[in-house]
Amino acid sequence: MTSVADPLVGTAGAVRFTFARATLVLGGLTGVLLAALAASVLIGEYPVHLAHALAEPASPDGRVLLGLRIPRAVLGALVGASLAASGSALQALLRNSLADPFVLGVSGGAALGATLALALGLQALAGPPLFAFVGAVTAMALVLAAGRARSSPYAALLTGVVFNAFAAAVITCIKTLLTPDRLGEVLYWLAGSLGYEHPRTLLLGGGLQLAALAVLWAESARLNLLSLGDDEAASLGVPVRRTRALVLLAASLSVAGAVALAGLVGFVGLIVPHLLRMALGPDQRLLLPASALGGAAFLVVADAATRVLFPVFHAEPPVGVVTAVLGGPLFVWLLNRKEHLG
Amino acid sequence: MIAALLSLAVLGAGADPGPLRVLGPAPRGEVRRVVTLAPSLTDLVLALGAGERLVGVSRFDERPEVGRLPRVGGFVDPSVEAVLALHPDLVLAQPGPGNRRAVETLAELGAPVLLLPLGTVADVLAAERATGKALGLPGQGEALARALEATRERVRGRARAERRVRVLLVYGFEPLVVAGPGGFADELLADAGAVNVAADAASPYPVYSVERAIQARPELILDASDTEAGKERVRALPGLREARWADVEGQALLHPGPALGKGLEQLFRLVHPGAPQ
Repeated sequence: MTSVADPLVGTAGAVRFTFARATLVLGGLTGVLLAALAASVLIGEYPVHLAHALAEPASPDGRVLLGLRIPRAVLGALVGASLAASGSALQALLRNSLADPFVLGVSGGAALGATLALALGLQALAGPPLFAFVGAVTAMALVLAAGRARSSPYAALLTGVVFNAFAAAVITCIKTLLTPDRLGEVLYWLAGSLGYEHPRTLLLGGGLQLAALAVLWAESARLNLLSLGDDEAASLGVPVRRTRALVLLAASLSVAGAVALAGLVGFVGLIVPHLLRMALGPDQRLLLPASALGGAAFLVVADAATRVLFPVFHAEPPVGVVTAVLGGPLFVWLLNRKEHLG
Repeated sequence: MIAALLSLAVLGAGADPGPLRVLGPAPRGEVRRVVTLAPSLTDLVLALGAGERLVGVSRFDERPEVGRLPRVGGFVDPSVEAVLALHPDLVLAQPGPGNRRAVETLAELGAPVLLLPLGTVADVLAAERATGKALGLPGQGEALARALEATRERVRGRARAERRVRVLLVYGFEPLVVAGPGGFADELLADAGAVNVAADAASPYPVYSVERAIQARPELILDASDTEAGKERVRALPGLREARWADVEGQALLHPGPALGKGLEQLFRLVHPGAPQ
């Protein structure tokens, strides 16, 4: 990961932010998301008869539609929106368009927490999600405390990278102590997958994500100025420390919540903001909500793809595998393309 | 801190999957459509003579009798939709932390689920009786359980006349995974007149230290692995080289189920090759 300031983040938007443009872009992306949700709800192993399901919610068709498909699509949308919007905000804040939402130690902390919960057999207490959330928040607090000492965005970023490596080592150590079947569960969880959550878990997660996204969007104009550099932003009247702390807190809580719900789903927070930045420019006032909508649509489609793949593998591959398989090559292509342009 | 975490992890590794339980609605009327989520449970249904009622199995099932049946996913990741699409009257599942949400969701959506832990011989006996009852074949279930109990009695009796042999039962060589304490394999080893040298391990399927295996001086090493990977290296080690090596054939000691009786008799022959058969 390079720590070179990226011209794509740093330049003020060449295209002006107008209400009409925002309405057009966000309206269009909302349409894409709704289409993705509709497609996802119609895809699966169980042949759902839509009219029958809606007429009789208590019928098997109705229960599959209302109890499985819709909650899972909503979960995918929440997690995708969280990862992509947080990615967009962190990339602006750290002035590095290659920053991943997991860089602040969040992935390592969450994975460590969840691995411990699985190793200890604490599933009965909503184990992995709860432990993942606590682990992610703890890691983030540690990383921010260490990063603050130097008041540089790169200090936090590097501390996060080091913490993730440390967490990976401890996880490997725990894995050697686990029985093969329990190890399988840990590996499956770490790969990132969308399962079936209780409605109240969804409601809680959804509330957290909406609050975090609202904070990020509210701070997006100041984020634009922050990407010019701390001194420049301060001279323009931005409360630098407060803004940075608020954005880091909101983004980290959002990512921690997403990881708790779905495990480690990679590349969404990298690819989606990247693609949209190329199309829309770096203005966070538009890029941030657009990333949320685009990320939601992307993950919903990736999750539907896991269900399409079921007859091939006799299992659903974790959605994190699908996002990595799609995202990895795409990202390399984007990088090369940018180098040619630059 | 790490040491504390690790000791916790070791303690947790043998966590109890919980008792035999029924989730979701009770099966209505005669059970005609059964889905199993583990090969051991498929074995159980076949042994009860109800194979024709199976409509779906896990992707790990290899028995030719179920070769043409649809697959509904694995032990950790069964597909709720694939199971529901088969409209089962009964789903047989082995409870585990990984499939807990999926199994609960199945039950919530109206599929009757029978959760059958298969960690110990007592679990297997209970599962045989409970599945027999659930399928309307209580006599067959009882007979299966009685047959296993009788085999255990017979083998124990014969083992009493023999010297106890120090045995290491190996499930895999890379890493070295062995039969530890607290599982059905450990119980059957005791029945067959063997001393499980890995009885000091933390769980029924521990990753065992190679040095400890050497130190334990097993007289007999039973190979129940399904791969040769790493075997030659372990076999060349001092202390293990001198031991007698024998292959455990078939899956009886890998899949806890109705084949355990046969597995036990095989185990006795391997442990005491000179005993009157």
